[in-house]
Amino acid sequence: MLRLVRAILMVFKVYVYTELIRSKGLFFGLIGFSLWLILFIAPMMLFMGRDVEPGVVAGYAFTAILIFLSFSMATWDWAGEIRWLINQGILEYVITSGSGFLPHFLGILPVSFIWVGFALSIIYALLTVLIGPPLILIHDPLLFIVGFIMLLMVLMGYALLLGGTMISTGSTGVMMELLSFILPIATGGLTPLKRLPSGLRIFALCTPFSYPAETIRYAILGIEPVLEPSILLLRGFLYSILFLLIGIVYFRYQVKKMLREGVKATTFY
Amino acid sequence: MGFIDILRVEYKLVYAEIMRRKSMFLAIILYPYLFTGFTLFIGYSFGSANVFIEKIGVDPVIFMITAGYIILSMLAVLDDILWKPLNDQWIGVLPYIIASPVNRLVLFTTIPLPRLTILILLASTSIMPIYTIYYGINGLLTSLLVMGLTALGSLLMVTPAMIITGLIHSIGESWRVLNIVRPLIMILIGAYYPRFYMPIMGQVLSYLLPSSHVVEVIQRIIIDIPGNYYLLLAIAFTLALIYAPGGERSIVYWERKKVREGVKIS
Repeated sequence: MLRLVRAILMVFKVYVYTELIRSKGLFFGLIGFSLWLILFIAPMMLFMGRDVEPGVVAGYAFTAILIFLSFSMATWDWAGEIRWLINQGILEYVITSGSGFLPHFLGILPVSFIWVGFALSIIYALLTVLIGPPLILIHDPLLFIVGFIMLLMVLMGYALLLGGTMISTGSTGVMMELLSFILPIATGGLTPLKRLPSGLRIFALCTPFSYPAETIRYAILGIEPVLEPSILLLRGFLYSILFLLIGIVYFRYQVKKMLREGVKATTFY
Repeated sequence: MGFIDILRVEYKLVYAEIMRRKSMFLAIILYPYLFTGFTLFIGYSFGSANVFIEKIGVDPVIFMITAGYIILSMLAVLDDILWKPLNDQWIGVLPYIIASPVNRLVLFTTIPLPRLTILILLASTSIMPIYTIYYGINGLLTSLLVMGLTALGSLLMVTPAMIITGLIHSIGESWRVLNIVRPLIMILIGAYYPRFYMPIMGQVLSYLLPSSHVVEVIQRIIIDIPGNYYLLLAIAFTLALIYAPGGERSIVYWERKKVREGVKIS
């Protein structure tokens, strides 16, 4: 246990230094990120009527970006880590160290959360300047926590599935980028399901991603979900657990396969 | 090596890469739709198309698909030029390029042409079908005009991009600064958020970019606002020409610095 904690701490320290501290990575990264956000958020104001309360709009935008950022974190930080380890030739060392992938991922999780935390602060400040202070009231703290736990489980399941696929096929960065764009749009991450066209709404409900998004929106914005809250929670929780389990089984299978067949080369982009 | 020789080499390099990575090609086709989907989904979730039409004067789908197409085309030029020195350094060919006697303005003008050609032709999968669905044959003709203007606007980015490249790569950890400059230029171009809505400082900076004038022409065409298009195009051309000597000097300054300090192997 102590060995595991030490390994996690070591990974955490290394990633904090390389990703956040070295060459002011956090500072430059956040400025670049804020500018990209302005590029896409600014035109949103063109959809705003004069009668709409700016705080409500900013709250919607904040929640949509929160979900989008969560998907990006799972795609690039968690699943993308496998690709990065392969590309840098480190994956073999991680395997031969005997520690397994667990301490590595537990070490980078807080780094991802630190980054997302700072990014959300920047988003909040930007929205306040561009539109107005986001009106975020946690109507039901318990529901918010449940929604957040569901979101984490779903994202971990997704990252394990994507990471496992990367091990088996060496999938490209371009495909990852497409996924991180398409998934939150198609599964109701950015828009309340009741505002989606019916076909897309049914598709979104068939995926595990829509349930935590609807729960979080209901908890912090008070937007009524398309399903009864109790059904939403029950289905969402079961689906999230199942998805995470599938992710774990699939990832373990791919790792075992890789140990037999060797590490696949990933494509550069 | 003359212009044609460099052009041939650049086309071979880029097209060989694209043939090798077909997923990249797929991404190029999908990007305008992804950007459009992203902006429309968030926009519709807290606003309405009617408000957008009232404010801008055109359907948001038309506006956003055009904006995405413009942004991608201009990013093709900007990225190819801004990242070129770093890519050359990473693959170890930078010392040879610095030592070559090729005219820098010619070289940097040819670098973005292959990728820009693809992106411009990809109007056929983005703005052309959408414009045709909305406006019929007139839409098709408008999309051809927008395609030509986007190509022009993208090419006019070459000289300011050269100035920025030389300056940025003269300082350390240049890729971090590049990641700030790229979105900043994309904002100032005004494709997603028209520059007449920008605060005064944003407008002043936007007017300094040649391509922003072409973007305004495109937006006036799709919104159907009459105006002196030729004057805006003339300003864009003049600015690009004014920046040309500065661009060449900036690149030469950076190269001389590299010769003095040596090229780091990363």
